[in-house]
Amino acid sequence: MKGFSHFMSGVAVASFCPWSIEQALHGNPIFFILGGACGILPDTLDFKFYRFFYDHDVYVEPDPANLDPQAIADEVARAVKMGVDEHRYIRLKLSSIRLGADFWQQYQVEFDNENMEVLVRFGPVTNTGQVPVPGTQHRYPQIGRAKLPAKVIQTYDAKLKVDIFDGPTIGLAPRNDGDFDLEFLPWHREWSHALTIGFFLGLLWLGACSLFGHWLIGLQGLLLMTCCYAIHIIEDQLGHMGSNLFYPFTKNRTPGLHWMHSGDGLANFMAVWISCLLIFWNLHRALPNPVYEFSLAKLFLVALVVPGLLFWGLRWLLTRKDGLEVEAGDDADDEWNDMKAGQG
Amino acid sequence: MASFWIVLLSVTAGTLVYSVFSCLPGLHVYNVMGLLVLAILGLEAKGIAVPPEVFIPMMTGMIVNWSMVNTIPSVLLGTPDESALFTVLPGQKYLMVGRGYEGTMITAVGSLAGAFFLVCVVAPFAPKYLPVSQEALKGHMHWVLWIIITFILMSEWPKGGNRGRAGWAKFWDAWGSLLAGVCTFVLAGLMGFILLNRSPVSHEVAFQNIMPAFVGLFAVPWCLLNIISAADVPPQRTTDSLDIDGDIILRSVWSGGLGGGFAAYMPIVTGGVGGLLAGHACAQREERIFVMGQGVSKFVYYVGAFMFLFVPGLNLSRGGGAWMVKTLYTPASTADYLMIVGSIAVSAALSFLMISPLAKLTLRLIDKFNYRHVSSVALAIIVVMVFAMTGWVGLFIAAVGTGVGLLPVLFGSRRLNCLGILLLPIACNMSGFGETIAGWLGLN
Repeated sequence: MKGFSHFMSGVAVASFCPWSIEQALHGNPIFFILGGACGILPDTLDFKFYRFFYDHDVYVEPDPANLDPQAIADEVARAVKMGVDEHRYIRLKLSSIRLGADFWQQYQVEFDNENMEVLVRFGPVTNTGQVPVPGTQHRYPQIGRAKLPAKVIQTYDAKLKVDIFDGPTIGLAPRNDGDFDLEFLPWHREWSHALTIGFFLGLLWLGACSLFGHWLIGLQGLLLMTCCYAIHIIEDQLGHMGSNLFYPFTKNRTPGLHWMHSGDGLANFMAVWISCLLIFWNLHRALPNPVYEFSLAKLFLVALVVPGLLFWGLRWLLTRKDGLEVEAGDDADDEWNDMKAGQG
Repeated sequence: MASFWIVLLSVTAGTLVYSVFSCLPGLHVYNVMGLLVLAILGLEAKGIAVPPEVFIPMMTGMIVNWSMVNTIPSVLLGTPDESALFTVLPGQKYLMVGRGYEGTMITAVGSLAGAFFLVCVVAPFAPKYLPVSQEALKGHMHWVLWIIITFILMSEWPKGGNRGRAGWAKFWDAWGSLLAGVCTFVLAGLMGFILLNRSPVSHEVAFQNIMPAFVGLFAVPWCLLNIISAADVPPQRTTDSLDIDGDIILRSVWSGGLGGGFAAYMPIVTGGVGGLLAGHACAQREERIFVMGQGVSKFVYYVGAFMFLFVPGLNLSRGGGAWMVKTLYTPASTADYLMIVGSIAVSAALSFLMISPLAKLTLRLIDKFNYRHVSSVALAIIVVMVFAMTGWVGLFIAAVGTGVGLLPVLFGSRRLNCLGILLLPIACNMSGFGETIAGWLGLN
């Protein structure tokens, strides 16, 4: 799921802890801050820390002054050959091409397993908002091709498109049949997305609080941080990619339930909105003598079901002639692009 | 019946007259409203009472007009207020490919859709539901501000570290922009503490206290950037139709209405922050929805905040406009509320009709003169405004604000971090430890 959905889910989980509300009413916001921060923290650890220390075997760094798709294709093929020769896991980095303060040359890498080739084609120049600059679409019509010594099989439909800011990492995992599985962003959800890490961070909090004699706040924080961190893992587990749930006791990701894609707009919005409603409900429940009385079911009916039905009814009316289809994204690709988008 | 015509005339006059001011870069509606309040108080001191049926619709017209027509200087002259922070980048991109008029009009359609949303959806239900939410939330606003601050700081993407081998060098290259963002937030926050506790601005213009800082943080860096780096703006073309449909409008209202509504309802949270949060919540990446949604958001934020003061059973003071009106009049009846809702509808319709000719006029100006010169004139107007209202002290504050506001420009971090000027001191104050921190800073 997207960062804000995780963040709000964390805050919602925090609102279920009575001490969060009690402290907040006394002017102490720390438990809600911890809730939100722990909700988003697994992705923060990956995207803001770990990826900069993740070493690669091959770095593809195209020269902005001499754009050549063939050079990129050759480097990707070299990485696959390295994997074949040394029969080991290869980490390949596709770096972005910055052309100016706000302009990036987009390129796409594609594996053609039928012809045992890697194809590289340049797309348009995009701005930092990932919007193509008009007139740049066909500046480089040539396609770079290089022969591969083995097939590279994509286990899920990640698009190997490189444009703004940082480019993606590809992991080439050798298979028993001599081919390779392609892993998109292998550093993501490797160890950070584990229930044990949330508990460990909670222990650090407990330790810090105990130094100042605040045992109760430490214990409350331990429980809250573990739960808020866990909600991130649970939400991600509804998607495709899955997480390494009990690192260091487990080594690999447990595949997700495939119920949704992390970039699904509706799923993310529902997560945010339901979180808001649950927070509101918990705050209302905590009122000593509320003037207005209502049930959780009524709250969901008024604030979710009725406006939701109206919105979708209107949308259906407006789009029924167009036969609008929403393209489903890939978990890692959507998270990767979402993290980079909206950085005004 | 006479009251009806007085209200209609007042709102029309407020809208039409203010459309001239709305096109001026850097002049916020609250600055002009402040002067109007002073004038009304001055008249009352002389025994001349101005009835609320005159000044309330007039102020409504001013706010509505400004929140719609101010899109023109924001997008075409590159002098945004804070709430237009997100509109301006894609809006200016429209300008740089010769489609400035289209970008402006898409935002304007968003504003009109925001008016429909406010008048037809929010207004009928507000008296029934908003008091309920106010009851549950009133003791909790402070931590909402803190989690917004947490999200703003945690969600920024490291801009560097894109090339090279893994390690600390790459990490620090990436974290340069993030640390610049945090630094901007803290510096702006410190500035906020000073201005809110020991403002050097004369008490006679205390209502303009924060204005020079805002101008320095947001508008001046933009003008300077345009003057230093702006390429020549290509010839602009106008169009009779916009590439939008009902679905785009609906989705824009969805995201913009949420963002603007949240910002209007929460204290201190501005349209830019509301837009950021709604953008993340609704995950709309389509540029037209983004631009139009910001039009919706800005309208709902400014006008909604003003309207909430008049909602029966709520009477919430949010935004400078509501606070200024409260010094003159306390809304009491449903009739007041209906008058405001009607005034919003009339003023929004009039303002929308004026945007197209005013935008064409501005584009003719840009076509005729070098864009750098236009930006220079815009900057000069801003400086004169600040000086006229707050004197040398105001100019000094704006200069300091400009220094802080240039940090995100130079280091590629988010400009939204400048909002630390309000978020940090107010969040501290609302949580009850603002005074302690002010004491540490020697400001008590």
